[in-house]
Amino acid sequence: MKRSSPLAALTTAAMSLPAFAASPPVESTLSVGVSNYQEADVPPHLVVGGDNRRYDVNIRQFRLLSPVGRDWSLGLDLSRETMSGASPWGTSAGVDGEPALIMSGATIHDTRTETSLTATRYGEDHSIGLTLTRSEEDDYEAFSPALSGEWTFNDDLASLSAGLSYSNDVVEPTDAATFGRVSREERRSRSASVGVSRVIDRSSVAYAGLSVTDHSGYLSDPYKLRDVRPEERREWALSVRYRHYLDGPDAALHLDYRYFDDDWGVASHTLHTSWYQNLGTWFQVVPNVRYYSQSEADFYRSVDDFGLPLDVHQSSDFRLSAYGAFTFGLKAIVRQPDWSLTISADRYIGNEKYGLASGVPHPARLEFTLASVVLDIQF
Amino acid sequence: MNRSLRSALIVVAMTSALSACEVVRPWERGTLARPEMQLDPNALQTGLYDQVYFSKEAARGGTKAAGAGCGCN
Repeated sequence: MKRSSPLAALTTAAMSLPAFAASPPVESTLSVGVSNYQEADVPPHLVVGGDNRRYDVNIRQFRLLSPVGRDWSLGLDLSRETMSGASPWGTSAGVDGEPALIMSGATIHDTRTETSLTATRYGEDHSIGLTLTRSEEDDYEAFSPALSGEWTFNDDLASLSAGLSYSNDVVEPTDAATFGRVSREERRSRSASVGVSRVIDRSSVAYAGLSVTDHSGYLSDPYKLRDVRPEERREWALSVRYRHYLDGPDAALHLDYRYFDDDWGVASHTLHTSWYQNLGTWFQVVPNVRYYSQSEADFYRSVDDFGLPLDVHQSSDFRLSAYGAFTFGLKAIVRQPDWSLTISADRYIGNEKYGLASGVPHPARLEFTLASVVLDIQF
Repeated sequence: MNRSLRSALIVVAMTSALSACEVVRPWERGTLARPEMQLDPNALQTGLYDQVYFSKEAARGGTKAAGAGCGCN
């Protein structure tokens, strides 16, 4: 580790302590990202109808965070996703009795644009932020105001954060009349979070947080042939994060764990570990592994039952099935005083065999590759 | 014990554990200020990963209140 002078260390520490957003940014940061998300095709023998090619998404991101005067900052986030590919419509029993996939018949093209504006006011030991977010797709609109606050205490060695948000979403499926889909439905989400960050020693910091989210309204997937979900959902998530710097290898270890639970019967564990290895002064490599496991929803069915009444809950969405997944990722980061460049690649492999809860094979189990380039400039 | 009370107790227990920490003087905080020691070293990439996992897995949340949804399929 390079030893910095006490004055330099003090200045740097004053500018940015981990997790503590109560102090205003001292310079502007412009970030630009270009990413590609590519799902693996479904094996043809598991598809009984439709196209087996799944989603390919190109993502452009832009972020600007600037101080305004002494006590304010403004942040603007823009994201644009261009999607193409086929989407699972449902499942039926294949010739061997195992679930087989019914996919959308033709390639879907859609674009999602998300705009988010954040104004933050900073006090001596706290910050209060208001964020307005709007997300638009051809068939979906969402508007979300969110309020967040952070208070530092104990000589700036600890902070308490809290947040409240609301989202009003409207879904208007395409080709509704042709396929007998709902024409327009709404859903609402209310969410609250609280978290505590604490410096443990001169090379360790930890965070613990809890969030609760209530969803209500139309929570089904209108594009599935038979998807009937409850109109209420409450989610709990408990998160723990730990950062530790090791002098010997000149590296930082990141450990993140999250437990999730909801009243649909889904419980989940997520463990993510990263190793930030410094190589010289300006270069880092970051191998990382993420493990995810979830149980299935109470109303999940591996094969759609079209004989059930329409008011009986059921869904064959793979996202509600029991499975596990590993993500293996690698980042390379070049850091200069006024800019940094991050290049990353991640491979996600989902499989019912990897889950902690037993699950049946789902033909739409997910594998994807995510590649990303991000440039950050300070000025 | 209901879920709300259990969750609150977990947070209180964690807060108590975190309070039993070493005093770190301002001039000893250089390491903590390093980019790789931030909880979210890159906000743009964190947003990207959050969106991907949010749209493809059942679990979400834990570090902040949820934002706008999407019609992700």
